[in-house]
Amino acid sequence: MINLIYFELFKTYAKWRTYIGFIVIGVLIPLVVWAMKMEGGKIMQFQMKTLQNDFFITGNLFNGWTLSQMIMNSLWIHVPFLISLVAGDQLAGEATAGTFRLILVRPVSRGRILNSKYITTLLYTASLVFAIALLSLGLGLTILGSGDLLSIDRNMMTIIPESEMWTRFAIAYGLAILSMWVVASLAFLFSSFVENAIGPIIATMAVIVVFLIITNLPVDSFEPLKPYLFTTYQDVWQQAFRIPIEWDRIAKSCAVLAGYCAGFWAVTFVVFRRKDILS
Amino acid sequence: MASDVIVRTHNLGKRYKNRWAVEDVNLEIYRGDIFGFLGPNGAGKSTTIRMILSLIQPTAGSVELFGHQLRTEREKALAKVAGIVEKPDFYLYLTAIRNMEIAGSLTLGKTPDRKAIASALGLVGLGERANDRVKTFSHGMKQRLGIAQALLCEPDLIVLDEPTNGLDPQGMKEVRELVVRLSKERGMTVFLSSHLLNEVEQVATRMAIINKGTLVVQGNVDELVRNSTKNILLDARPQKKALAVMRKMKLVKNPLPDGEGITAEIESPQIPSVVAGLVRAGCKVYGVKQERSLEEYFLSVTESEGGSPKPNPRTTP
Repeated sequence: MINLIYFELFKTYAKWRTYIGFIVIGVLIPLVVWAMKMEGGKIMQFQMKTLQNDFFITGNLFNGWTLSQMIMNSLWIHVPFLISLVAGDQLAGEATAGTFRLILVRPVSRGRILNSKYITTLLYTASLVFAIALLSLGLGLTILGSGDLLSIDRNMMTIIPESEMWTRFAIAYGLAILSMWVVASLAFLFSSFVENAIGPIIATMAVIVVFLIITNLPVDSFEPLKPYLFTTYQDVWQQAFRIPIEWDRIAKSCAVLAGYCAGFWAVTFVVFRRKDILS
Repeated sequence: MASDVIVRTHNLGKRYKNRWAVEDVNLEIYRGDIFGFLGPNGAGKSTTIRMILSLIQPTAGSVELFGHQLRTEREKALAKVAGIVEKPDFYLYLTAIRNMEIAGSLTLGKTPDRKAIASALGLVGLGERANDRVKTFSHGMKQRLGIAQALLCEPDLIVLDEPTNGLDPQGMKEVRELVVRLSKERGMTVFLSSHLLNEVEQVATRMAIINKGTLVVQGNVDELVRNSTKNILLDARPQKKALAVMRKMKLVKNPLPDGEGITAEIESPQIPSVVAGLVRAGCKVYGVKQERSLEEYFLSVTESEGGSPKPNPRTTP
């Protein structure tokens, strides 16, 4: 199995489309950091204006941590697209290239081949999120320095001491990886249906957009649906910046997200095992 | 003999919606055969081969490879099998060596030895291109690389679906020679599908013909063609006397002069009796030639079948 995963990783990272995600974040994050360095202070001052009427605030609240959290907030719309570029290509790409005929005539079960591809997809997803963490924290802390984190999440404002930052960001990025694994699993599932990688990317994004709209629109008739949509739980990483951390909510969200991953994998498994290779 | 059957399909069938692409195919391939699988385009050759290689799930019937059921013992069944279906496709963005490693590791369960890869690539004349990306290869080179990766794991059975498709005459000749060499030198069984009749006629020892999804016939190439031959060209002299003698024979139909010889309709098993009769009558027989080629035989069975189902095609071992 390790050998299978090794070659799947090799194949994935030998394709240039794999690097599109890294290139995008490699350009975008430094741009955001540069822009924040130039104008971040003004933005922060504007946001703090009303707070300063009621609170006496000292120290540097606009720092690398704040910036990294802002980047996390803003990137989760684009990251699913970057993930589905690769996850949607895992099975459909082999069908397009005709290479299923090369690998599926071998004495290896389809289940093992599928699992090696799935694990590769999860590893790629984790590596992309890790790259976001590395870039945003690395550049942010280097250029804007460290300090306490002013976390504004919906209608709650929290100031978290600097000493807790590494732990909290580690939890946040860990939860973000799980959240993105659901996206990857969905794209992987769509990839098993078709023989062209464009379809899974579009289908994944369509599902995410529809689910996000249902999740975020304050419409009563959508309320019964919300507990069943994975998008309801994808912001679980924000729990890492609450005081205190609500572990039971995190556990519930993780269970639902992991359940979605398992469900998408199971359907993919059934589809792939029965799939006729006609291309 | 039964233990020498390494590929056996039992009432194999594939249905797409309401249409049977392949129906009730019962194939038997013996160890050491170069088995030609003939059929017009769209006859069901590729579908049958894909079912044998587990690329397509059969709707009916079963496939047994080396005594193992493909459905339930897939890994054992395919352990000694290599196949190239239609055209060999590769990871074009990887080098030939990397492609060989990927294909080899799936069969061997470990990364194949670089020396073994170099040897296989050398065998098909790609030794010097080992580190080039496959996207720079011509179609013929990819075909040869396909054969190299199939040979890497030293299979006992190699399945080649239309292996000469798209090759120039020299390439086709090389592939044919390689097929024969693999059978003779390495003792491999070769399952070769083709719509090129002369290709099968030149290399195959046994064959099957499929038409409109149904197996029409299978058996020994020589026997199938020879036993069904009716048009015989005899070089018997003097011609006039020989013609007169043949016209009196009940075994001979429509004897006609053909250049210096005589053509006639004679059932293959009756040829020795006809020749003996001519000799007894004082004629000298310098040669007997069966005029019918595999092409004529193929056309006769596929046209006469007209696609009608034939569940128990005649078989000669």
